[in-house]
Amino acid sequence: MGTQKITLFIQCLVDTVWPHVAEAMVRVLEDLGLTLDCPTDQTCCGQPAFNSGFQREARVAARRFIEIFENAGTIVSPSGSCVHMVRHHYAELFKDEPQWRERAERIAARTYELTEFLVDVLKVEEVGASYPGRVTYHDSCHLLRGIRVKEQPRRLLRRVKGLDLVEMKNSDYCCGFGGAFAVKYPDISAAMVNDKVDHIVNSGADTVVGCDTGCLLNIAGAVSRRGLSIKTMHIAEVLAQRL
Amino acid sequence: MSDISTEKYVEEAKRGIANTVLQKALVGLQDRFGRGTAEAYRRLPEGPDLRLKAHEIREKAIAHLDVLLEILAAKIRASGGYVYFAETAQAAVDYCLAVARRNNVRLVVKGKSMVSEEIGLNPALEAAGIEVVETDLGEYIIQLAGETPSHIIAPAIHKNRQDIADLFVQKLGIRRTTDPPALTQAARKALREKFLAADMGTSGVNMACAETGHITTVSNEGNIRMATTMPRVHVALMGMERIVARLDEYEIILRLLCRGAAAQTMGTYASYIGGPRRPGESDGPDEFHLVVIDNGRRRILADPQFREMLCCIRCAACLNVCPVYGKIGGHSYGFAYSGPVGAVVTPLLTGINRAKDLCCGETLCGACKDACSMNIDLPRMLLALREKLAYGDADWQVEPASRAEGLAYRGWSWLIRNRRIYELGLKLAAAGQQLLPQKKGMLRRLPPPVQGWTQSRDLHPLAEETFMERWRRTRKG
Amino acid sequence: MREKMKTPDQTQFIRRIRTALGHAPDVTREARHLFAESPSDEDLQLQERIHRRAAEDRQALLERLIEAGKPINLNVTALPDVAYATAAILRLAAEKKPEWGEAKSIAAWRHPLIDRLNLVEALDRLQIPVHLTGPIPVDAGRAFDQAERERQRAEIIASFIGVTSADFCLADTATLVMRTRPGQPRSAALVPSIHIAVIHWDQILADMKELFALLRWDERYRPEGLSSYMSFISGPSKTADIEATMVHGAHGPREVHLFVVTE
Repeated sequence: MGTQKITLFIQCLVDTVWPHVAEAMVRVLEDLGLTLDCPTDQTCCGQPAFNSGFQREARVAARRFIEIFENAGTIVSPSGSCVHMVRHHYAELFKDEPQWRERAERIAARTYELTEFLVDVLKVEEVGASYPGRVTYHDSCHLLRGIRVKEQPRRLLRRVKGLDLVEMKNSDYCCGFGGAFAVKYPDISAAMVNDKVDHIVNSGADTVVGCDTGCLLNIAGAVSRRGLSIKTMHIAEVLAQRL
Repeated sequence: MSDISTEKYVEEAKRGIANTVLQKALVGLQDRFGRGTAEAYRRLPEGPDLRLKAHEIREKAIAHLDVLLEILAAKIRASGGYVYFAETAQAAVDYCLAVARRNNVRLVVKGKSMVSEEIGLNPALEAAGIEVVETDLGEYIIQLAGETPSHIIAPAIHKNRQDIADLFVQKLGIRRTTDPPALTQAARKALREKFLAADMGTSGVNMACAETGHITTVSNEGNIRMATTMPRVHVALMGMERIVARLDEYEIILRLLCRGAAAQTMGTYASYIGGPRRPGESDGPDEFHLVVIDNGRRRILADPQFREMLCCIRCAACLNVCPVYGKIGGHSYGFAYSGPVGAVVTPLLTGINRAKDLCCGETLCGACKDACSMNIDLPRMLLALREKLAYGDADWQVEPASRAEGLAYRGWSWLIRNRRIYELGLKLAAAGQQLLPQKKGMLRRLPPPVQGWTQSRDLHPLAEETFMERWRRTRKG
Repeated sequence: MREKMKTPDQTQFIRRIRTALGHAPDVTREARHLFAESPSDEDLQLQERIHRRAAEDRQALLERLIEAGKPINLNVTALPDVAYATAAILRLAAEKKPEWGEAKSIAAWRHPLIDRLNLVEALDRLQIPVHLTGPIPVDAGRAFDQAERERQRAEIIASFIGVTSADFCLADTATLVMRTRPGQPRSAALVPSIHIAVIHWDQILADMKELFALLRWDERYRPEGLSSYMSFISGPSKTADIEATMVHGAHGPREVHLFVVTE
């Protein structure tokens, strides 16, 4: 296991807005003795266009992704949403192009979200992290219902020293991000994220943790606008914390 | 067809969000039924996967709709019933009016039926001088208030007991009370008089069964049993897709319907109606009419991308888990069907362009699919609708919804093709964001067309160095 | 026969469906494979299970039924013979107050089991009239038919209690199953404020699966089928349309009592 080479598939939002999430993920994986590789010409998996109905443009991104990652071994991403895109929607995008579809499916079979990779593939729950604080976990939609990852992040969090995990109400409710939705339907999106923030506050947690930067940027934006002191963190950041 | 106001989605959504009574009711509804339905599926002896079996049953029935409907019609006619096939809403309404006229109908009692909302039956009957009384308590309340249903199963969810008390004082002349049992009793009394005086009863159809030649209706209140038993004439309105082949298949659908609709093991009443009263029987209608309605369903049937939508049994389980419905309420959807089911079926029935906000105004969170008693992939169909809006579609007469957005995505697809150009674009954007108002390292206001984001939240700015740049800098010495 | 009864609207409608499904518009498609010509193994097993039910199985089903009745406010009482059922009905008739008006009267089905209750005589002691809903002679002429139907309807509307039996009762969901037939009007279980059903315990089935296996394949039940109107009744009428508060007695009976005779 120690010599396995892992290829990083970094969500565009992480790459461009929260690169420290990717840095943290690198620390966690390297501390486990893994060798990492990162194709630095990657840009985006195509999900923004796909979700807005622009499938042709999404296909451009998907083809490029396939070409870049085709020769990679195990692929790990700090985003359930991007993994859901590759694992499930590429097949839909290429339903009329069997060759591309097959290539996409081969890549999909070895692409993992970070926490499912740690818990299900590496069978690791204890990564030696330490985070003093009361944490609540937000279930991102595509992670939870797209690729059915629910317990893995919680198991990892429970093994973090000093961390007190509390559940919020409706942790599995959408935070109102939805990509372009947040921009096109700001009133609905705001109502949703404000509910989410209320539930976080009511849980008594000082930190909200998630596995998808889209949701986290949304929640962090609402927390900031409301002047609250809740910390919004990607799970990789928590797992990378050492005493 | 009834009034369509799908264009007002955004406006109505705002109104719904600002309505504190509605907000409280929606929380209560979703807390109770959303969680309860998931639990009810788990408690099935076959587990939640029974929904997959149900999906197969429904798909098979839809694929044989021509055959099943003909068998149903023949059996109902053999039992003395009438069957009419209505291509349009207007044809269905006209048929109901003709039946009413022929029977000198003055008063109609209605069992809850979403398809009757869809075809606009009430206003047509009223225009013909016929009194129409909704008999489901929730529907009765909103009829008295002159409103439309905001939930498929709980139509008056947007009204609280104070609203209802005021309404009953004004319309029924009762002494004011806010006690739900007392209010229910007042409606029971008023409606009992209507049931006993009505000439015609109408109902929807939850599901028909071809093998036996019956339609079924399910209710907790007993109003549908009243409406289909006491008046001289019963007219049942059925969306043409509401049929299964066999009784053992129906058994699965009924169990899932009760769980999806109200997290119940079984509704209080389920009736299997095969025709009018038979000789020697003392009650039941003299005439039974079944109206099978197309009204645009045929187009859905013909499109393999959307045919799956015809598996829907309108249980409303998706409304009870949808985070968007949970904030905006049912009126925002501007047609008979609200929530995720409305977001897909309304554009298909009433026009995709005019209902574009229904297609795009969701987050694709997937909760509806998990809650669906028939395991319908609603998010997939929302994406398919968005694709039609992105590029236009001749078969569905769809125009591209936004040229600007089309251009933006084309530009985006050009940008992401080349990492260097992509980074250049990022640099420009990063430079641009310096000009925007900031506070504690967060952007406070974004320019058009993305100003919506910062309407009520901040945005973390772009990083000075992307992760890829840093990796190149530090790792590829 | 079927073809003859077809109306033009139907022909066009079905043609359009065939076209939408990608089939030739004028070719009637084969349907036999959608149905079953003989019972499946599961159906046979279900029938076998029902026929082999021993006394202890019945007892277990009865207990399931009683449990299932509780959350839906269905009062299920097991009684050793019909005399107890008569006494129980008498008690209810004496205790309960009519919902509409002052006078007490009861409507009861003509049905072999209900006839054995001797309700007319028993309730005469309380001076409560019992209206028996006999079948209407089919050849008595239209005027008589209508008058008789109107009389029965008025009697049922005036009654505060309706007494019926049922064809079956499903233990898992506490569901009474009634097929409509002459002499057994469905309004007797619907319009009066209190519905009392009396059944024999061998009428209890486990669930809908067993019921449908019998209705579809058992020669004792198959010919009658579902009748023109088969009702499932699971407890009293209820609504939660006002602030999701559960209230019993929306339009149907406010109370349902089920007496199971275990003789």
